[in-house]
Amino acid sequence: MLRIENLTKTYGDKKAVDGLSLHIAPGEICAFIGHNGAGKTTTLKSCCGILKFDSGEIYIGGKSIKTDPLGCKEQIAYLPDNPDLYEFMTGIGYLNFIADIFGVPAETRTERIHRYSDLLGLTADLAQSVSAYSHGMKQKLAVISALIHDPKLILMDEPFVGLDPKASHQLRELLRELCDGGTAIFFSTHILETAERLCDRVAIIKNGRLVVAGEMEEVRGDASLEDVFLELENTDKPADTDSADAEITDDTNPEAGK
Amino acid sequence: MTRARALIKKQLAEVFAWLYRDMKKGTRRTGAALVLYGVLYAVMYTALGAMFYGMGMMLSPMIEAGYAWLYMALTGLVGLFMGVFGSVFNTYATLYNAKDNELMLSLPVPTRLILASRLTGVCAIGLLYELIVMIPTNIVYLIHAKPGVLGVIFTLIIPIVLSFIVLGLSCILGWVVALIASRLKGKSYITVILSLAFIVAYYAFYSRVIIAIKAIVENPGPVSEGVKIWAWPFRHMGLAAEGNALSMLIFTGTAFLLFGAVYLVLSRSFISIITTKRGEKKVVYSRGEAKTASPDSALLRREFKRFTSSPTYMLNCGLGIIMMPAAAAAMLIFNSNIREVLSLFAAEHKSAIPLVAAAVICFAATMNNITSPSISLEGKYFWIIQSLPLSLARVLFAKLKMHLILTYIPAIPLAAALIWLISPYMSSPLDALIVLLPSALLILFMALAGLCLNIRFHNFEWSSEAVPVKRSLSVTLSVFGGWLVVAGLTALYVLAGRFLPALAYAAIAAVILGAAAAIMLRYVASVESLD
Repeated sequence: MLRIENLTKTYGDKKAVDGLSLHIAPGEICAFIGHNGAGKTTTLKSCCGILKFDSGEIYIGGKSIKTDPLGCKEQIAYLPDNPDLYEFMTGIGYLNFIADIFGVPAETRTERIHRYSDLLGLTADLAQSVSAYSHGMKQKLAVISALIHDPKLILMDEPFVGLDPKASHQLRELLRELCDGGTAIFFSTHILETAERLCDRVAIIKNGRLVVAGEMEEVRGDASLEDVFLELENTDKPADTDSADAEITDDTNPEAGK
Repeated sequence: MTRARALIKKQLAEVFAWLYRDMKKGTRRTGAALVLYGVLYAVMYTALGAMFYGMGMMLSPMIEAGYAWLYMALTGLVGLFMGVFGSVFNTYATLYNAKDNELMLSLPVPTRLILASRLTGVCAIGLLYELIVMIPTNIVYLIHAKPGVLGVIFTLIIPIVLSFIVLGLSCILGWVVALIASRLKGKSYITVILSLAFIVAYYAFYSRVIIAIKAIVENPGPVSEGVKIWAWPFRHMGLAAEGNALSMLIFTGTAFLLFGAVYLVLSRSFISIITTKRGEKKVVYSRGEAKTASPDSALLRREFKRFTSSPTYMLNCGLGIIMMPAAAAAMLIFNSNIREVLSLFAAEHKSAIPLVAAAVICFAATMNNITSPSISLEGKYFWIIQSLPLSLARVLFAKLKMHLILTYIPAIPLAAALIWLISPYMSSPLDALIVLLPSALLILFMALAGLCLNIRFHNFEWSSEAVPVKRSLSVTLSVFGGWLVVAGLTALYVLAGRFLPALAYAAIAAVILGAAAAIMLRYVASVESLD
């Protein structure tokens, strides 16, 4: 579903992402882990077409984000780390705006809005202005807006930050349910316990380079994810993307098999 | 003492940040830029002071007529007005709505110290505004009244004492603003209406002030009686400036009493004032079937919500929406006066009258610069548009549509009023086309030019929307460019009018504007991203 090939992005002299390759198949949920400034947000923003990158390619559902950005964006939902949502709209107004852009029919959007807002405990506040929302409420609204058009790939930057324990639990359940339904999910997090419990796969990035990527069980081995992460952080090990390249499971890549 | 100094230093640094910080870049001005801005603000301050020096000079005959105390009382009241209204929004922001209130309360600092440091900042701003009036008018007083040593000393102290009254009233008014801001619905519209009312009142006052001053100077009796009854502390302020120590004591006592009362109330309720969030009444969501709209309608609706949510945006970029119908109404009310002027003009330039009408619409329409900050205003929200399956051109066209709707509709009554007024001088219905076609195309040209300028000079990094709306290059170029285009087209007709009939000139102007608009339209449609 998501195929990142040799992604490189520089800011001035600094390489934020350096030759990153990663593939995520439909129905997979992959945690993206790394220290602050490792390149997680840059990678996620590049995947959803917000950032232009210097070299490499990103395919979503077989479509290139470079040549067919709108085709890619039709299939994705993006949740940034700090959900700055239109404060001049009400919660329901914002959800309807997103649904209108994706052309979600009235009946379907009503059902989805109520289902997800009930689940996350936001229904009573939907008529409030977004400007009156707390960080957690904005996060919930951003989650609902990301799910309203039933995306095939969900890209999330720190989705659990600001959520209360109940909403955090509900979101984890919801993500698992979506994955079981075939949605691919790629999200960054610093909560390693959540990543460990929720994800099929994990990718660890350090200084812009993918250090490890693979099945959660394989990467973790007998240790905890935290142990693996800390060990990688404490070594000057150069980027080892072999394991990532070995995990190509995406059958929607147009160039697969070439 | 160290804590108090640190807090006051922080407060004053915050209050006067506009002087040494570049609000657009968020960096500290250094070297030449700092000097340049210092000089600029000093020039502005002096220019404003010169205006009040003029006012002082106009009132100075009162001093010679034995009403020196009334002169001081009146200029003191003007200074009070200036200080309170100049500082009230700052008071609201720094005292009642400060972003670091919670941080301050978490520090090991007594509440009274926090309050005192906040009040120091408020007092400094109030004094700054008050002195714009008090320095020049006191200079006039000292020159003309020639008071004794005590009078001179008191005259120099009075502005400082007055600043405590300014501080007290500013705190009270700031509290009212805070209450309105937290309780009122439709704040944007109310702010716009109040701002417009203030502008109208200001111009009404300004147009009558000279007559009023002359009347007071000629007959100060009734005003002096009024001041004695309704503004008695200012009578004592005036008498103090003459060297009356008892009056100085009464005036100072009154100022400190007012300030003390306000300080007492504030110190007792400061924590609850800054930690209580009143908020608007919660609107409960009621379940129902959602209404759908096309992506283009949704984008247009989003633009309208953005526009109507911001008084700054509406007031600075959409004044034409109100001014055009207002001008139409004024034309209908004063039609006989306008027709008199028209008849004089028609004697020699009858054929040019429809073009003059077109120029009036064009000038009025240039008051709308809605598109020119519209891209920058996406600011921190731009990621939403970027992540949605929308071409940038589609988003830009929504901005264009809003500008056109909000300019064409208010232009209709103005055009109708103008055509009705000039109808006796129209030789054929085609003359209406001369009025409508160039002005309609100029509105389109202006909307597109604003959009193109903001595509070129967009800025998403701002903390106050006043930056893209008031201080951006695209808005400045759009405002002055619009005037230049209209003035240029008018000047061109003055030169070419002898050789070209009005209809032909209107057609040429329409072709030029139309062609320019078509080129810009093509450019807007081709924009894929903003780099």
